[in-house]
Order: sequence, then structure tokens, then C-alpha cells
Amino acid sequence: MMKNITVLFFATLRDRANTGSFPMEIPPETTVANLRALLEVKFLSLNGLANYSLVAVNREYVFDEFGIPDGAEVALFPAVSGG
Amino acid sequence: MNEVPTITLITEDELDLNALVNQIVSSSDGAVAMFTGLVRGITSRDHPHKTDYLEYEAYQPMAETMMKQVADEIRARWNTIEGIAIVQRIGRLYPRTPTVFIACASAHRDTGVFDAARYGIDRLKQIVPVWKKNVGPNEAEWVEGDYVPTTLDATQNIVQAQR
Repeated sequence: MMKNITVLFFATLRDRANTGSFPMEIPPETTVANLRALLEVKFLSLNGLANYSLVAVNREYVFDEFGIPDGAEVALFPAVSGG
Repeated sequence: MNEVPTITLITEDELDLNALVNQIVSSSDGAVAMFTGLVRGITSRDHPHKTDYLEYEAYQPMAETMMKQVADEIRARWNTIEGIAIVQRIGRLYPRTPTVFIACASAHRDTGVFDAARYGIDRLKQIVPVWKKNVGPNEAEWVEGDYVPTTLDATQNIVQAQR
């Protein structure tokens, strides 16, 4: 069964991909590392950014081996620069 | 335990520093350490450049969650800290404008209250998902941070202060 997720891009990633939010279908067992690769293919304009971005699933930082759950909100963004 | 006031907020509104302090202090407090950051129009250090304005954006729900985590981390390190405010303004902000405000209240000034406020702004700049684009006379460029969160940042990183 495919999983349905929502992907959010912020800052540089949003500018490069020209979208900030979109739904996506991913295979079961997709990890964060797998998703990076899928996004690089889906948006060639990212040009490697998805490989180096920070990733949050359901508003919490996650790392490459993390398995993405069905219905997840997955955000990709550069190192933060608030303040 | 959670009766002490804690303000964690992303806002497009002007920061009213007096009002924020007023919201976190109680009659047992005798000291508040505050930090506010400004938009700097002329940068001389590191990579000198000029700034017409900064355009801030946030992943608001996660940002406010991470600000609460920063407040929890402060209280775990300094159990003398009472009220805490952590506020980030977003949108288009011009030089000399306060962009961020951190305030920690305590009974006395020698309770770690200065260090607590310093910790608050440092942690915000590491883990709270906010970004700014520097718009200058000739170019616009996203400012990128240099901190990469680890598993220690993913859940509440509460370590007792070593004394």
C-alpha cells in the first residue's frame, strides 16, 4: 500500500522548487534518505539541496534512517537562520 | 510546576518589549535579563554587506514547539528561572527594528539569569525553524545557519547544569 504524505519546502528549497507544499505518494518502507532521492528526481531544480537539507516529520527533527509514516507532514529546509 | 508564565510566539506584529516583560514577571521576581536582536543595516564583520531589509519566514507550528523546548531546556539548567518569553517577529523588517526577544525572570540577578537569556537566543538560532532573506542594494540571498541538529535535539535535550 502506498502512503500519502504532505511535503513542505521552506526558504531556498521552496524558491528552487517553486512550490512550498504538495501531496505525494510514497512506497511503504520509504525512509528519509529514500525520500531525499525521490525529491531530487521529482524536482531537478533542487540540484542536490534535498540531500543536504534538514528534515522534520510531524514537526520533529528526524534523520536518514527514519521510516516515514502514512499521513505524515514532512518538511525540508536549510539550516535555520532566525534571531 | 507549569504555573510560571511562558510565552513562545511567532508574530508579524511589532514587538512590544515592555508588554512582554509585563506578561512574564511576578511579585517574587527582582531581575529580568533581556536580549533583543535588530536588523543590522551595515555589516562590517565577516562578509561585509548592506541590508535594505530582511524578509523572515517561519515553519510556525514547529517553531513554536521548538521554542517551548528551548524554554524547558532553560528551566532544566537553571531552576532559578521563573517567567520566560521567547518571541520571533517575521515578515519584512527594516534596519534598527527588533526582530527577536528573549527574556528570563528570576528573584535575583546572580541566579544565572544572564546566562539563561544567552542560552535562549543561542538555542533559538540553532533549532527553531525560522529563516531570513537578506535583501541588499544589489542582491537578495537566503541566510543559512551552520547548525545541524542531532538526535539530542530531536527530543527534549534536558541536561542538568553541571555545577
